[in-house]
Amino acid sequence: MFGVVSVRTAPLFRLLSPTCFQAVTVRGRKSRNDPKAKSKADRVKVPPPVDLAEMVVLKERFTQYELIIRALRAEFKEEMLCQRYEEEVGSLAEEKARHETEQHRMLMAWNDAENERLRKLREHRVKQEQEQEELKTLQVALALEKRMEEYIKEKELEILTLQEESKNFITLDNLEQRIEDALDNPKNYNFAIDKEGRIVKRTEQK
Amino acid sequence: MPMKGRFPIRRTIEYLQKSDIFFKNTVKIMTVNYNTHGELSEGARKFVFFNVPQIQYKNPWVQVVMFKNITPSPFLRFYLDDGSQVLVDTEGKTNKEILQHVKKILGKPEEVLRAEELAKMVHSNPANFGPKKYFPRECMCEMEGQVPCPGLIPLPKEMRGKYKMQAEAEDA
Repeated sequence: MFGVVSVRTAPLFRLLSPTCFQAVTVRGRKSRNDPKAKSKADRVKVPPPVDLAEMVVLKERFTQYELIIRALRAEFKEEMLCQRYEEEVGSLAEEKARHETEQHRMLMAWNDAENERLRKLREHRVKQEQEQEELKTLQVALALEKRMEEYIKEKELEILTLQEESKNFITLDNLEQRIEDALDNPKNYNFAIDKEGRIVKRTEQK
Repeated sequence: MPMKGRFPIRRTIEYLQKSDIFFKNTVKIMTVNYNTHGELSEGARKFVFFNVPQIQYKNPWVQVVMFKNITPSPFLRFYLDDGSQVLVDTEGKTNKEILQHVKKILGKPEEVLRAEELAKMVHSNPANFGPKKYFPRECMCEMEGQVPCPGLIPLPKEMRGKYKMQAEAEDA
């Protein structure tokens, strides 16, 4: 409800007692300083009438009732506090903690085993990679060596052919001899060839 | 208006709430070392990209730190409150495998989560009335179908004590 309504209720047996006329104070609609209504100016507030015999009986019954209720409430509260204590501090908590540490230890062991397995895999992989690297370098070295050998052979062949050709070179010694040979044996280059390279036509040199 | 960034679904609440990893109370820091290139780090990269936001959402009090390109192989390291460290090697694993592994070793088990949920429900009973901050409703007059608040709509005369007393007086 909007607006705070505070009800100060006295316990029931106090209300029932004849000596005390304590009224129930309720703030309600009017604030503290509002005057009393004109229609209520003569009103005398009288507490509800009390039947004495009934009051005595009720008082007796209420004391017993409240005693029982209080006892029950205390009983339940005690039970709940015991349970909470057991859970937080007592044997139950110890059992739980022990179980948890045991579980943690097992899981850590499992994790370590998993790490070990991965470590072995990694080492194997690294080893393989290293071997492949070595093989690769070896192959590269071999290829290089082979290339060098081929190069040397090629150069040797070139030298040999050059040596062979040098036998036919024109030097100062055989210059005159070669000139006379050339003049004695004129060569005629006036010929035509077909697509296969055979000589087809010759014209005489003039 | 389209969402921003790659895989913007990672920024939705629904996606973040999908995770079911709740770290144990002893876990304080989670460190992820991974590399930005390489096949072996692929799972760790995906884990960081897709799953770390979910984990952080569900465990706001755990510090999560990422390190890139520091070590040749990827791993996770957890620092517990008793000073011990837990190393989890993630080389060659997929992000799902990493998630399952982490959940198994350091996640709260199902029973504990259920028990905690029950305890929370017991403490916050939705049937209770009280201040709006802590309870669903303050007064029955707020509920549909109930008598409306007499502060807003006056009660009919038959329900008011004043008129009942007057009627009794007249009868008497």
